[in-house]
Amino acid sequence: MSSSLFIEVSKEQRQKHGEDCFGDTVYIQKIPEEQRIISVLSDGLGSGVKANILSSMTTRMAMKFMESNVELLRSSEIMMDALPICQVRKISYATFSIVDSELEGKTRIIEMDNPPFIFIRDGKEMNIKSREISSPKWKERTINVSQVTTQPEDRIILMSDGVSQAGLGNPKYPLGWQRQGCISFILKQIRKNPYISAYDLAHAVVKEALTKEVDEQAGDDISCVVIYFRKPRKLLVLTGPPFDEDKDREIAELVSLYDGKTAICGGTTANIIERELCLKCEIDKTSFDENIPMASTMEGIDLVTEGILTLTEVYRMLKEGIDKNKNNAAVRLANLLLDSDKIDFVVGTKINIAHQDPNLPMELEIRRNIVKKIFRLLQDKYFKEISVRYV
Amino acid sequence: MEKIKVKICSGTSCFVMGAAAIQALEFTPPEDIADKIEIVESRCLNLCHNAENKHNHGPFVMVNDELIEEATYEAVVNKIREILKNNCEA
Repeated sequence: MSSSLFIEVSKEQRQKHGEDCFGDTVYIQKIPEEQRIISVLSDGLGSGVKANILSSMTTRMAMKFMESNVELLRSSEIMMDALPICQVRKISYATFSIVDSELEGKTRIIEMDNPPFIFIRDGKEMNIKSREISSPKWKERTINVSQVTTQPEDRIILMSDGVSQAGLGNPKYPLGWQRQGCISFILKQIRKNPYISAYDLAHAVVKEALTKEVDEQAGDDISCVVIYFRKPRKLLVLTGPPFDEDKDREIAELVSLYDGKTAICGGTTANIIERELCLKCEIDKTSFDENIPMASTMEGIDLVTEGILTLTEVYRMLKEGIDKNKNNAAVRLANLLLDSDKIDFVVGTKINIAHQDPNLPMELEIRRNIVKKIFRLLQDKYFKEISVRYV
Repeated sequence: MEKIKVKICSGTSCFVMGAAAIQALEFTPPEDIADKIEIVESRCLNLCHNAENKHNHGPFVMVNDELIEEATYEAVVNKIREILKNNCEA
């Protein structure tokens, strides 16, 4: 996706206290050839496995229909047929919210029975007009369709009713947190940090919702999806010395001319850049950690870290979650990666023989392999735009 | 008196071989040497690259001009004390 707009989508979920799985399902898919990102949130009736199956079915169906551009009413009818109204509770078996965003700027939002989406522009909530459609077959169920032309710095927030009703049953919040409470919280977060990432905002909303609950235990499945439209933030990650020493100068120039943030991962790599660009590099002792070598500071470079151990830890955290209580080099690198949209990896393929010594107390990954794992994860789980060049 | 320079390699292989434990010198040095040393952290001293070293002899630590191979916290502290003692005697 080479357009000037980038869409960061992120979700955070908590299952109802005591349940083993989520009753809500979020499914996000990128269609690179059409420059589209489709995000679907569905809340299955009840909680636990049954709700999970209902919401999973709904999101998969919705995604399939959206991807193949099936006419909206037709696809909604098929979904409503498949997921009828509960005979006992007279409510839909599963709800859905779909956001179909094109990088060119057109975004459609289609909703049934979830709390209405929140649209934020210029630090304010904006009401987007929607039209209702209903099928002759299912007159009592209406679908709301809205359309908006997005601009950089717009945000769309989807939530399940577990967010808006958080706190229900807690005497302090007799009516729950409510959508309005959630909007005020989001606006406050954006005022504090106008460039807050979708990842951080989604996590903040869910964390705040939990504080409303009795004993901070989710009374219902809680899900929040944040879609953040922005100009792409670029990051260059340089790791490893080039195979051929003659290329040292060339990669140093890549770093000095790059039009975005830069990170260097590897002691020898940092030594090369320090030498070639005549920069002073110093260890940053505030990043001390027993398990991860310390980061360094270098003028004009956003982050300098050790190589393999740091990258291995970054990979683990990208898979399992970032440790918010630490400030070591790996946490800093993982945050830098998540805060970026377009990441260019330049990977030196020279192998450090010492790392292959079988006497080392732990196995060290080959650089090229660990970088491959990281960039696949960044692409598939975090929807980053990645390029890799081996030197 | 000039402080003793202790240069600890914190490159990948030295780190996994135990350099992290030696870095404790920086934060909690033994009292008798605390004000007599200056820790110089190094990202990589490039000593493990030496092909003549059949096996990795890290972690590498330089105490002034002297190289300690397979260094440990104790070995480094002992070396510092030895130099201090020699300095006193001289």
